[in-house]
Amino acid sequence: MMNAGPYLRLILVLAMITCSATQRAGEYAVQDVPYLETLVQSGEGFTDDGTAETESRNTDGSFGAGLIERFERSPAFITVLYGVITYSILTMIILLVIILLNRRRMQREEMQQEELREQYQEILMEYLFDEGDQEPSLDELVQIASNKFSRQILIDQMIDLSINLKGEIKDKTRALYLQLGLDNDSIEKAYSTQWHKNVKGFRELAFMNIRDAVDRIRECLNSNNEILRMEAQVAMVRLSDENPYQFLDFMEKPFSLWEQLTLHELVIQHELPVPPFRQWFDSQNLSVVIFALEMVAWFKQADAGQEVSSLFDHPEERIRQTAFRVAGEIGMKDALPQLKERYNGESYMNRMEILKTFVKIPDEKHLDFLKSVLDKEEDVQLQILATKAMENTDEPGISMLIKLMKSKSEYKNYQIIIRHVLDGRIY
Amino acid sequence: MENIYEILRFLAYHAIFIITAMVFTTYLVLTIFSAVSLRLYLRKNSYVDYNAIVSSPLAPTLSVIAPAYNESRTIIDNIRTLLSLYYNNYEVIVVNDGSKDDSLEKMIETYELEKVNYYFDYRIPCKRIRGVYKSRNRSFKKLTVVDKVNGGKADSLNAGLNVSINQLVVSIDADSIMEPDALLKLVKPFMEAKDKKVIGAGGVIRIANSCEISGGHIKKIHLPRKFLPRAQVMEYTRAFLMGRMAWSELDGLLLISGALGMFDREVVIQAGGYRTDTVGEDMELVVRIRRHMAELGVKYDVVYIPDPLCWTEVPSTVKILARQRSRWTRGTMETLLTHRKLFLNRRYGKLGMLGYPYWLVFEYLAPIVEFLGILWFIFLAISGKLNWPFFLLLSGFVYFFAVSLSIWSVFFEEITFHKYEKRRDVLKLIVTALLEPLFYHPMVMLMSIKGNLDKLFKRNTWGKMERKGFAEQ
Repeated sequence: MMNAGPYLRLILVLAMITCSATQRAGEYAVQDVPYLETLVQSGEGFTDDGTAETESRNTDGSFGAGLIERFERSPAFITVLYGVITYSILTMIILLVIILLNRRRMQREEMQQEELREQYQEILMEYLFDEGDQEPSLDELVQIASNKFSRQILIDQMIDLSINLKGEIKDKTRALYLQLGLDNDSIEKAYSTQWHKNVKGFRELAFMNIRDAVDRIRECLNSNNEILRMEAQVAMVRLSDENPYQFLDFMEKPFSLWEQLTLHELVIQHELPVPPFRQWFDSQNLSVVIFALEMVAWFKQADAGQEVSSLFDHPEERIRQTAFRVAGEIGMKDALPQLKERYNGESYMNRMEILKTFVKIPDEKHLDFLKSVLDKEEDVQLQILATKAMENTDEPGISMLIKLMKSKSEYKNYQIIIRHVLDGRIY
Repeated sequence: MENIYEILRFLAYHAIFIITAMVFTTYLVLTIFSAVSLRLYLRKNSYVDYNAIVSSPLAPTLSVIAPAYNESRTIIDNIRTLLSLYYNNYEVIVVNDGSKDDSLEKMIETYELEKVNYYFDYRIPCKRIRGVYKSRNRSFKKLTVVDKVNGGKADSLNAGLNVSINQLVVSIDADSIMEPDALLKLVKPFMEAKDKKVIGAGGVIRIANSCEISGGHIKKIHLPRKFLPRAQVMEYTRAFLMGRMAWSELDGLLLISGALGMFDREVVIQAGGYRTDTVGEDMELVVRIRRHMAELGVKYDVVYIPDPLCWTEVPSTVKILARQRSRWTRGTMETLLTHRKLFLNRRYGKLGMLGYPYWLVFEYLAPIVEFLGILWFIFLAISGKLNWPFFLLLSGFVYFFAVSLSIWSVFFEEITFHKYEKRRDVLKLIVTALLEPLFYHPMVMLMSIKGNLDKLFKRNTWGKMERKGFAEQ
């Protein structure tokens, strides 16, 4: 289904106004409305029903009458119509010109960018990888990067290049960045009053490992602008040598899944030092606790097992749910009895998570529990998970499932559940 | 007393003027809102690395549900496109809705499918599922084909919801072509959620008529050659880049197009899934899940993103367009009627106070009032009572204002996504904007009236969309 567009409404109004036009024509005193005077003289079928006019004129003195008088005597309505028509035609022409000029500008800029990129790339490669003659290349760079547009292309080019570089060459790129004074451009952006420029500045400084604007970045760690806040977090992690994740201690705003994902990606991609994430399990910010749990699972920090199991009793359902999952991810076999105990008191989603943990950590000691889940639960997904957990224990579980398949239960079709679980084509 | 009478008389007499002012103000406000939110969206997302989602273990799991009925000509290519979307943790559930052609056989053959022992629960009622198919070939492990008794699109989506086990579901038309990064862009709002739960997200649907398509992918974008689809390009651009963008910003979005939408699976199931007794199941679902969340007292959000995420073929003949528009009108009527409780009901916040009244007055009632207005205009013209000069002035006013809004939407498209690269295409769009109010709009209005009559006389069919098929283009 689709919005039919504004025309329906517009033409509706046209038709309706037209309907009332005959009446209103009478209302407008021709001598009061010069526009209409012209229209009447040139037009046909202009009716001359003066009833409404007389009525409205007879109510002098009252507020309502004043209002009517003012409206009817004024040519404002006609002026508005002409005004809107003029505005619309002008807008159309101006927009058309802008569209066409914008196309030309974009094409020109694109060509210019391409040209500059090629030039810079050549000079940069020569400078970075050629031991001999460095000075002329540098002069050339300074000369070409004489305006902001060109310098920005050079900055982008150097950042793109440094992403794939390591060691000495990366240091050399950074030195060149400083030598060309490009850090001033980045710092200027970091201190700009426009957030999108701040973001760009933070990114450039973080990539080039320049710490001159760290105070400004720190200020933005609790910014209300979530994009700026996220970029500040990322920049801080990259720029801090000691405890880059310190911002998690002071984080007040919720840490969205998107921010968590971005930070996680950063840690992985840049092989940043990984702290023991259990230190944030007691954070007052629940989203930080969830992130810490996720990271414990991802980095397989099995030594955090005890702290993870202490979160099984957390009052917040989402934290318990994540803790149950993490227990499975890091193979906390000792936690299974605890999970078994918690099972009945948990929500549907949490029970699902508990069973998934049993699937991940097969243990024949709990076959009776799993069998009871299979028997008692009515929900298909819970039944399937319990059966999968049984199957994963190998011989004892599979024997039990075969026995169940052969048995004829009045209230449960075990065969259909077990067949689903044992079907290798269902991934 | 006299004052009140005078004011009421004034209002009655000049109601039309007031409505005009309201309508134009509404459109100006919507244009401003969409401009602001488009600018913010583009700035915000210019720094985003969507690839981070692809490999992340934190990304939510997705099920793409594609109902298919007699789609034999396009189904193989479309499944190929769906299987090659950029996302890691997702599955594709194609629901064969009792097709009478050889869709199922083709799928079985091409994707090496076999019936599996799939156990699921009918959490939402749907027509009997005859079988669930999976591939022997692990390259197609993301694909699940559900074969069921014919029950319509909504019923097929419900079947897909029953079979799916992932956190989020994406409903699409099997004959649409998704952009490869569509899932990444749609999932992001769900991941950005903080104090509000995101329950649905939609994106821009683009028109694929005359585009070069190969292997289920758009290879080259062209503006449709025929006037009818081109007028729809204009209409879609305006509706998506201006209307929906603004409504999303105002938290009054009532519709996520059936061609592509992502939803929280549990919320949809709790709300009862898709309704099968309406032809406007996409709008009805959005209104119902919003209503469900409001009644639970849970803060929620329905998000719209302006990125072009999906391409679809639109009607290129008047006959098929008439069927489609009649269906849309009936769907709107049914949804508004079912959820009439929302009207100006503060309990439902902006949904009740803003979104619903807007749809009722500006979307549903407008063509009816307009039609009556035209009849009255004809009467006045025949009886010689019409003030022609005034009429012409008003016509000019309406025409130029309407065209300027269309040109604004072309401008928005130009500075944002810039999908039509040829200068000639932009000029053609401008010409279309000039012609559309004169030829296309009156036709669409009449189709909408037909939709009302169809509903009145219980001609409640879905209407067959005869597509040429992307594979041929």
